Amino acid sequence: MKRFPDATSIDGEAREATIGLLYRLADDDMTLGHRHTEWTGLAPILEADIAFSSIAQDQIGQARAFYTLLHELGEPDPDALVFARKPEDFRCCALCTLEKGNWAFSTMRQFLYDMAKQLRLQHLAESNYEPLAKLVRKLRGEQKYHVMHGHMWISRLGDATSESHAYMQEALDAQYGYALGMFESNELTAKAAKHGISPAEEQLCDEWKGQVHEALELAGLNIPQNATAKSGGRIGSHEPVFTTLLADMRSVYELDPAATW
Amino acid sequence: MGDTQWRVYEVFHQQSRGEPHVHVGGVHAPDAQVALLMAKEQYGRRQACVNFWVVPADAVTATDYSDVDIFEHGTDKSYREAYGYETSKRMREEDATRRVKAQTTKRPRSQREKQESES
Repeated sequence: MKRFPDATSIDGEAREATIGLLYRLADDDMTLGHRHTEWTGLAPILEADIAFSSIAQDQIGQARAFYTLLHELGEPDPDALVFARKPEDFRCCALCTLEKGNWAFSTMRQFLYDMAKQLRLQHLAESNYEPLAKLVRKLRGEQKYHVMHGHMWISRLGDATSESHAYMQEALDAQYGYALGMFESNELTAKAAKHGISPAEEQLCDEWKGQVHEALELAGLNIPQNATAKSGGRIGSHEPVFTTLLADMRSVYELDPAATW
Repeated sequence: MGDTQWRVYEVFHQQSRGEPHVHVGGVHAPDAQVALLMAKEQYGRRQACVNFWVVPADAVTATDYSDVDIFEHGTDKSYREAYGYETSKRMREEDATRRVKAQTTKRPRSQREKQESES
């Protein structure tokens, strides 16, 4: 299969698929990174606050790196992509846009998301789009810590007390279908797989279930049965909360879009 | 409001392999593994780090400040201090000699570095 060493060497279907993939990666990290920042100053204890805020910064930094790859492929610059793009042009999954909820909800989401992200990055390290493969290899360390952090919270809270267990089970039940929506597939994701840019979403989902179910069961939690994937984000059809999130994220920018920072 | 119910762990940070672990502060955590994860962000995010130790604060036994006089010397003990030795000066000189030797024997590499820094 053909490999693409830089932005000028990729065109046609492979280019279209790569751009689609980068929007999914960047928009997921940007929106969830923003949701994580909503805990800054409010997390249960200082240490947890700092760790979670650091993860948010990592994630927004990773989003920026993916937006930069998009810019190299001829898309607008990162600031324009985040602050001036139409909501329906975002490709984040619904899981990343949901309100932060309580601490159980946010730590469960961080775990479910970062388990998927780690798997994705492991595969993308071998992507045929070489600028992406090179970038994700640098993100491994951060990602490893995110997984350790998420795993720590769900494994401790899952079976600490009946109260903590109930909170975690409730969080899992509420978002499992949204988590499945991370792997929403369509024509564009199939093209990315066909050209070796990204693994097939179905394959990622199976691998994710294998790892996540084991960890959740060890934490004493029950895997929701008959949950259906909440799809739509990957084609720009978002939950109403996404509009609020964008408005909040852009409130300062919109005071003066031409300002130099 | 009282303190957290979690215990305090003392955190020791190592900047590079072979260096001593240096006490940098404490974290609250329910167990040692969580303490390590928290220490990483409290004390590792702004400086180089290769390793952390965490130790339950209540595992530390300390002297009493009221006994601080035990550290005072009743008579002249300056012979215990290493100021009289010129070891550090000698080591600096030997180090400088080694560096000069290394530069003269590894010329191709230093030339390459020079070219890179100019480009």
